[in-house]
Amino acid sequence: MEKAISKKVYVWQMPVRLYHWVNALVVVTLAVTGYLIGKPPALTSGSEASFGYWFGTVRFVHFVAAFVFFFNFLFRIYWGFVGNKHADWKNFIPYKKEQWKEIFQVLKIDILQVSNVKLKSVGHNSMAGFTYFLTFLAFLFQSITGFGMYSAMSDAFLPNLFSWIVPLMGGDFAVRQWHHVMMWFFVIFAIIHVYLVFYHDYVEGRGTISSMAGGWKFIEKE
Amino acid sequence: MANRIVIDPITRIEGHLRIEVEVKDGKVVDAYSSGTMVRGFEIILKGRDPRDAWAFVERACGVCTTVHALASVRAVEDAVKIVVPPNAELIRNLMFCAQYMQDHVVHFYHLHALDWVDVVSALKANPNETSKIAQSISNYPKSSPAYFSDLQKRLTTFVNSGQLGIFANGYWGHKAYKLPPEVNLIGVAHYLEALEWQKEIVKIHTIFGGKNPHPNYLVGGVPCAINIDDANALNAERLAYVGTLLAEAKEFIEQVYIPDLLAVAPYYLDWGGIGGGLENYLAYGDLPTNGYADVAKFKFPRGAVIGRNLNEVQEVDGKDAEQIQEYISHSWYEYSDGDDKGKHPWVGETKFNYTGPKPPYDQLNVDQKYSWLKTPRWKGQAMEVGPLARVLVAYASGSTEVKDLVGFALGKLNVPAAALFSTLGRTAARGLETMLVSGWSKEFYDQLLANIKNGDTRTFNNSNWEPSSWPKDAKGVGLTEAPRGALAHWIVIKDEKIDNYQLVVPSTWNASPRDPKGQMSAYESSLIGTPVADPEKPLEILRTIHSFDPCLACAVH
Amino acid sequence: MEQKPLTIYENMQLRGYSRRDFLKFASWLAAFIGIEASGVGNIVRAMENKPRLPVVWFHFQECTCCSESFIRSSHPIVSDIILDKISLDYTETLQAAAGKQAEEALNETMKKYRGEYLMLVEGSIPTDDDGIYCCIGGRSALDIVKEAASGAKAIVAWGSCASNGCIQSSKPNPTGATPIHKIISGVPIINVPGCPPIGEVMAGTIVHLLAFDRIPQLDGLGRPKAFYSRRVHDTCYRRPNYDAGLFVESFDDENAKRGYCLYKMGCRGPVTYNSCGVIKWNNGVSYPIQSGHGCIGCSEANFWDNGPFYQHLASFPGFGIETTADTIGVVVGAATVAGIAAHAVSTNIKKCKMINQAINDTNSSTEKEEVKK
Ligand code: HEM
Ligand code: HEM
Ligand code: NFV
Ligand code: SF4
Ligand code: SF4
Ligand code: F3S
Ligand SMILES: [Mg+2]
Repeated sequence: MEKAISKKVYVWQMPVRLYHWVNALVVVTLAVTGYLIGKPPALTSGSEASFGYWFGTVRFVHFVAAFVFFFNFLFRIYWGFVGNKHADWKNFIPYKKEQWKEIFQVLKIDILQVSNVKLKSVGHNSMAGFTYFLTFLAFLFQSITGFGMYSAMSDAFLPNLFSWIVPLMGGDFAVRQWHHVMMWFFVIFAIIHVYLVFYHDYVEGRGTISSMAGGWKFIEKE
Repeated sequence: MANRIVIDPITRIEGHLRIEVEVKDGKVVDAYSSGTMVRGFEIILKGRDPRDAWAFVERACGVCTTVHALASVRAVEDAVKIVVPPNAELIRNLMFCAQYMQDHVVHFYHLHALDWVDVVSALKANPNETSKIAQSISNYPKSSPAYFSDLQKRLTTFVNSGQLGIFANGYWGHKAYKLPPEVNLIGVAHYLEALEWQKEIVKIHTIFGGKNPHPNYLVGGVPCAINIDDANALNAERLAYVGTLLAEAKEFIEQVYIPDLLAVAPYYLDWGGIGGGLENYLAYGDLPTNGYADVAKFKFPRGAVIGRNLNEVQEVDGKDAEQIQEYISHSWYEYSDGDDKGKHPWVGETKFNYTGPKPPYDQLNVDQKYSWLKTPRWKGQAMEVGPLARVLVAYASGSTEVKDLVGFALGKLNVPAAALFSTLGRTAARGLETMLVSGWSKEFYDQLLANIKNGDTRTFNNSNWEPSSWPKDAKGVGLTEAPRGALAHWIVIKDEKIDNYQLVVPSTWNASPRDPKGQMSAYESSLIGTPVADPEKPLEILRTIHSFDPCLACAVH
Repeated sequence: MEQKPLTIYENMQLRGYSRRDFLKFASWLAAFIGIEASGVGNIVRAMENKPRLPVVWFHFQECTCCSESFIRSSHPIVSDIILDKISLDYTETLQAAAGKQAEEALNETMKKYRGEYLMLVEGSIPTDDDGIYCCIGGRSALDIVKEAASGAKAIVAWGSCASNGCIQSSKPNPTGATPIHKIISGVPIINVPGCPPIGEVMAGTIVHLLAFDRIPQLDGLGRPKAFYSRRVHDTCYRRPNYDAGLFVESFDDENAKRGYCLYKMGCRGPVTYNSCGVIKWNNGVSYPIQSGHGCIGCSEANFWDNGPFYQHLASFPGFGIETTADTIGVVVGAATVAGIAAHAVSTNIKKCKMINQAINDTNSSTEKEEVKK
């Protein structure tokens, strides 16, 4: 044990980490405020409308978070082209045979727990990458539908870029309905994601959790 | 050889009605009535939330808008056992009355009048004479010679423009028109007055239901809350508005509609012997005064009169599988167990099976299936429904109010009671019941105010609103009297959703094709014997058909 | 017929109106359709010189409530429109002629004013099975509509039926009901949705066409911007309650009696474009929300299939009436958590061994491998 069996690798650059935590915060905020928008609790009654604005505030927070979320997301896409190899966009799309092989491997290790081989990947494994790709699609969908709805109440440039989605989906109702459904995708993603991070940290012992804070992972020396 | 006349489209009605008749020696000897448009409501409703059904079925018809919504909420309330609060019943009654007044007046002036009033002849009227006649029959203020002469000028300009618009190609000058030019001019004047008036009375729907056509209803009550101390609910201002509208409506009906009816009728008394048709009459009754469950206290009584026997009223039960059944032997549908049987609506089926000619076509194959209407029967018999049926059932039930009013009208026109069973009788009954309804509406209004004064402001019963509180299987029926007659909806609910929904509509009763026994329904039967002076201009056929106030969107749905 | 049809101005003159009245009317009209004072001159000229516009109004798969709504218009009053401003040469609901004579009136207008008449359509057109689900005079609606559209100057699609298909096109659309814009191309089409549209919106659309002799500005869905650019929600007088989070929780509760927002009763105002909050219904008397019922979205495409109406979200296909995305979401979320818990337990049982094994392996094998190298 006293021998150095692992070495430190710098995986997550600062901008990726910053992106990640801003995103995590903002997505949680969006899900919570979004849920409240869809199903407001009976908080106040017996009151005059002019004394309160809590629901308006919830919506306001949702919209502010939405803008942060959107630009943060754009930034991450940009970083996928200029960042280090772990941040590269190619990690997210399983276009190579090895990537698919790894995906099945991960399934065997993580879900079926029938295998115990070690993965080669240092950044995310192909399975994780692919999942994040799906998540990015969901980000995109949520942004388009969100800004599509927002365009009805705004003359600003950005939201109106997305107003085409409304007729395409058959009206605001459908847009809202799907925007709402997609919230559940994020809720469920977050639960599984956080669990898996802890899980990998536990079974691999490579410092998965702390990597998103400090950027370093530990891998076995070759 | 008899001569086939086809009238399609029948205009000045709601919907798509086609009439084919055989004429021999100047009289109709055979008649076929066909509805040529279908939308499939009963198919579309399957699987939906029963609480939404009212909005769907209300769209069966925008002319008698609200009546299907009423039948629907009653059907659901019957199925899942909800009793609505008294105020909700009163508000529903007020909306019902407003609908009658609007619908009947529009029918009389805009759909029926041109069968009796020759617009072009009005150009020859003497405005002074017209004014005299108008003032002798009513104290309606718009009756000066100047008023009539202005109108006549406007009409002359219109005719001289060469663009006759909605009056183009009418049967003007037909020898069946009997009114003197002056009475024709009054008719035209009131055609325009009524067009303006009708948009006022419906504001009662707007106040309680938010809009007209198609005001909002609610399973369990009515959606509008009462709060006399708030700006956002039914308060004193809103209620006063209703009061004013009711008063103005009463004035119009008493000063314009009824006097016109009684002024025109004497010229057409021969129509008291034409167009009688069936001898059976059916009414479900309506306008509860002590809750929907207490049928004995309805303003319009429920019952059936058979063979024109006004000494007996037979009991009618919408839930009895043997009483009301629909046949499709001559309709473009199929039943899973053969097309010759009748089906009670709870087990009713709606499956299209078009076997008619491919369009474009000249004639229907009337010995086969020939209509999108099903054929409803009561205990196997064809029944007429509508204002005449309502008045006769009320008369036979011993309603003094109705007896007095009918007696007054018969006396005024100096005709025997038998004249009721006719085209003229139908048109007169509609006017008479409008009078009754306008009087009753005031009673409902006063009662509503009294309830509020006594502190009862409830308009909705929340118990059983949640579908989870319903039984797994439930069945209900909602009966009402639509302006055109007996209307009912049958619902079967399974696992909180609509499993079957069937509408049997007044115009379905009246306008349907023959049943398997070959019995005609009301339209066909009433046309037999109707004179046709000029087969190219079948004005007389329109008179009898219009006397029913056809609504085909309702009838087929 | 030889006589030259009278212009609107001549019509007014004959009705005893002075030139001043006429000008007043023109500026009122301008105000009504919302144009600048400088535009009044155009209206005046337009009405001085134009014969009454020939109009044919078709009825297909409909409930006729659009016609009913039209005759409820208070400004302008409908008798003025149909006697003095347009020549309504065909409309089954009101015209005197029937059968053959009605068809003749229609054909005459279509021939004489080819390319000039305005075509109004109420109702959708069934396209399944050769159009047998709606025939008039023995011809299918589809056939009629194609012929009439070929000579029309413009088409107005009244109501949700003609512009979206409305109720008969909702699932499973048993007759193949289709809105006019999916059948006709090459003629300008103005969609005026609503079930029905507001009477004044209908009359306003006609007035616009008459006064300016051009199509009003339309949005991406072919609707006049003047009436359909705002959501009901954005002009709703209950909006402050929405922002304050004050909601009706059940019909006729205390909150309903105070006129709180109907959002939780399923109000579709936030997803519906219409003028109800501004123009209101029946000469401004009220609108659905003001009378206590949520908006059901009657001017939106597919609104019938967005039910149940008393729920904010549609129910999830294949489940119970009250099952929404949230119900499903909670269930899936719970299942996920349960799955994770199971996974964690199994990890601890199975992997503990493997991990211990792995640790031992690493300790010994690294040494071995090192040696080999
Ligand atoms: C992860 C990202 C997001 C989640 C989970 C989310 C979630 C939600 C939810 C659940 C609702 C309520 C829908 C309903 O039931 O009516 C909602 C509403 C809304 N969201 Fe989002 N949202 C996200 C991103 C966005 C973005 C990027 C925008 C862009 C502007 C946006 C704009 C809106 C708008 C405009 C509404 C409607 C609010 C209103 O009209 O009151 N959302 N969101
Ligand atoms: C306690 C909370 C969280 C922790 C500890 C955590 C940790 C991590 C770690 C370690 C990675 C890298 C995964 C890998 O090695 O493949 C990662 C990636 C990611 N996480 Fe989280 N996460 C958390 C919450 C969230 C939340 C709430 C979201 C929002 C949806 C989120 C979205 C993502 C995304 C999109 C990536 C991919 C990053 C990239 O490559 O751009 N995470 N997270
Ligand atoms: N027939 C019929 Fe109706 C009525 N009255 C409804 O039930 O018209 Ni459209
Ligand atoms: S749009 Fe609605 S209101 Fe108009 S005809 Fe169609 S169903 Fe009736
Ligand atoms: S009642 Fe409806 S339209 Fe009005 S503010 Fe509430 S949600 Fe919006
Ligand atoms: S239901 Fe229709 S009438 Fe207006 S408020 Fe909603 S658009
Ligand atoms: Mg039926």
